[in-house]
Amino acid sequence: MSVQVQAQGLVKTYRDGARRVEVLKGVDLAVEPGELVAIVGPSGSGKSTLLHLLGGLDRPDGGRVVIGGEDLSRRSGARLAALRNRTIGFVFQFHHLLPDFTALENVMLPGRIAGQPPRRALGRARELLAEVGLSEREDHFPSELSGGERQRVALCRALALDPPLLLADEPTGNLDPASGERVLELLLALQERHGTTAVLVTHNPEVAGRCARVLVLDKGVLKPQSPASRGS
Amino acid sequence: MRSRLLTSKAPLPAILALRYLWSTRRRASTTFLSVVAVGAIALGVFALIVSLAALSGFQQVLRTEVLARTPDIEVELPPETSAEDAGRAAAAVRALAGVREVQQVVRGRGWLLGGGRVAAAELVGFDGSLPPSFPGASARSDEAAAGGEERPGLWISRRLAAAWFLEVGDLVDVVSPRPTLTPLGPRPRVRTLPVAGVYDAGKAAEQERSALPLDVAESLFGPGRRRLLVDAGGSEEALEVAATLGPVLPDGARVATWQELNRPLFFALRLERIFLFLGVSLIMLVAALALLADLMLIVANKREDVGMLLTLGATPVRLRRAFVLLGALLAAAGTTAGGALGVATAVLADRLHLLKLPGDVFFVEHVPFLVRPRDLVLILGITLALALAASYYGAHRAAALDPVEALRR
Repeated sequence: MSVQVQAQGLVKTYRDGARRVEVLKGVDLAVEPGELVAIVGPSGSGKSTLLHLLGGLDRPDGGRVVIGGEDLSRRSGARLAALRNRTIGFVFQFHHLLPDFTALENVMLPGRIAGQPPRRALGRARELLAEVGLSEREDHFPSELSGGERQRVALCRALALDPPLLLADEPTGNLDPASGERVLELLLALQERHGTTAVLVTHNPEVAGRCARVLVLDKGVLKPQSPASRGS
Repeated sequence: MRSRLLTSKAPLPAILALRYLWSTRRRASTTFLSVVAVGAIALGVFALIVSLAALSGFQQVLRTEVLARTPDIEVELPPETSAEDAGRAAAAVRALAGVREVQQVVRGRGWLLGGGRVAAAELVGFDGSLPPSFPGASARSDEAAAGGEERPGLWISRRLAAAWFLEVGDLVDVVSPRPTLTPLGPRPRVRTLPVAGVYDAGKAAEQERSALPLDVAESLFGPGRRRLLVDAGGSEEALEVAATLGPVLPDGARVATWQELNRPLFFALRLERIFLFLGVSLIMLVAALALLADLMLIVANKREDVGMLLTLGATPVRLRRAFVLLGALLAAAGTTAGGALGVATAVLADRLHLLKLPGDVFFVEHVPFLVRPRDLVLILGITLALALAASYYGAHRAAALDPVEALRR
């Protein structure tokens, strides 16, 4: 399941005391259904801000985001929440698993928020945890899991409701190289298997190089990466 | 297998509240604040229940003491009423439904003199047998016991008899403030009466009250206003009977029930309760603030969770419900603990007479406790209302978090 993502003229400004900082200065983006796009850029360039706008977690000061033909700016808070729940899967640099819930329960959360019957949410969570090789760890709390395991659980949580769009913000940024590689492989495999549209934000060129298309966010504007820098 | 709340059919807010309640024990700071919040609520409820129970206990003893010495209904006949008219009015009242006994009395003030001592006293002249407002009467005389009749004379309190070393048959002068005019000038009216017996004045009574035959009283006070003491058999019945008295009484007669006779006292008792309640309720306010502080700390600790739940599509309304429920659970724990402890303490202290009092100073030997269900409902209601208000505020702050800010590290 996949969906088209479009951003047109996105502007986002923050206040830093009396100073106004324009992080995004009119970002245009179009991601085709099932496409995997990487957005790279130096720290503080506004990659995460762009991802938050695409995911409906924040509202732009100008421009609009359209997901599957629907303009997010026209959605109320409750309808945005429903969209985040059913249409978008989020993976962050930090796993943000709920520490008081087991791995299995964390993966069940989107289903329970969506109002799924417990049995159905449980079945789907078990299936996903098995897919990432964590069946044995389903009753463990996040504090009892390794960094890589936590991020794999977070990936399962993002895919719990089979969302047509996956937004990943530095998903391997907090992991050692081996764990990072495993998580990235899983992410790419699951994205391909489910045909999910995915936008991956990273500052790691190796990670970006695994994606079909790479865009660079620089000085608030999004540009395609030049072939020369892709080759390096 | 670990507990899997999410696999139950409970709604999500309830699952979050229960899990957070359980998980607060893992962090020393939230555990401490939760214990303080629950403890403060428990302590407040405990203090309110015990202090109101002690006050109710004291007030009940006082009311019983006072009411035992107050007629159910007192009718004050008009000043010009003759003895015959008074007798007719008494007979008419006696014929009414619900009336058990009617007795004529006159009331006045005077002094008692005996053995070189003097005491101011309220004097009640009575007709027939000693009025029920002089309880525990005993003639303490062999001849009276043998004869089975009350001797005419002066009935004094047991306390005065003990203080003045008086026994039945000893003579006491009763002096009226109303003088008799003689050619030699005004002379005090004095009647010398033998002590007919003693009665139990009750420890709450401060002033001496003595009873004497009606004719002697009238000769001391002159043709004063006659009164009818009506016995209706109980407090509630008295109020019903009082309403039916008007038509059978002569014009100008005034009817006063036990309520009206003790109005200032009852008003003071009620006022005392209200102010004590308000005072102790401040403890509840402090407890509610402790609960709020605890919830705010839990919200701060769960900031990341809230951010993630919002990201996953949980609505602020559901998150608010979860935190209100968490506050309600903490408040319920405190209220239950404080309520159970307070009721148990009050009941045990009353039954086992745990708090003794010096009987010669106070009018009771121990602190009496009375837990009234109405008080209990009011205390629990106010506690839960304050706690819910605090919870709602804390929950509102949680639900208003911005997910992007909440997830930022």
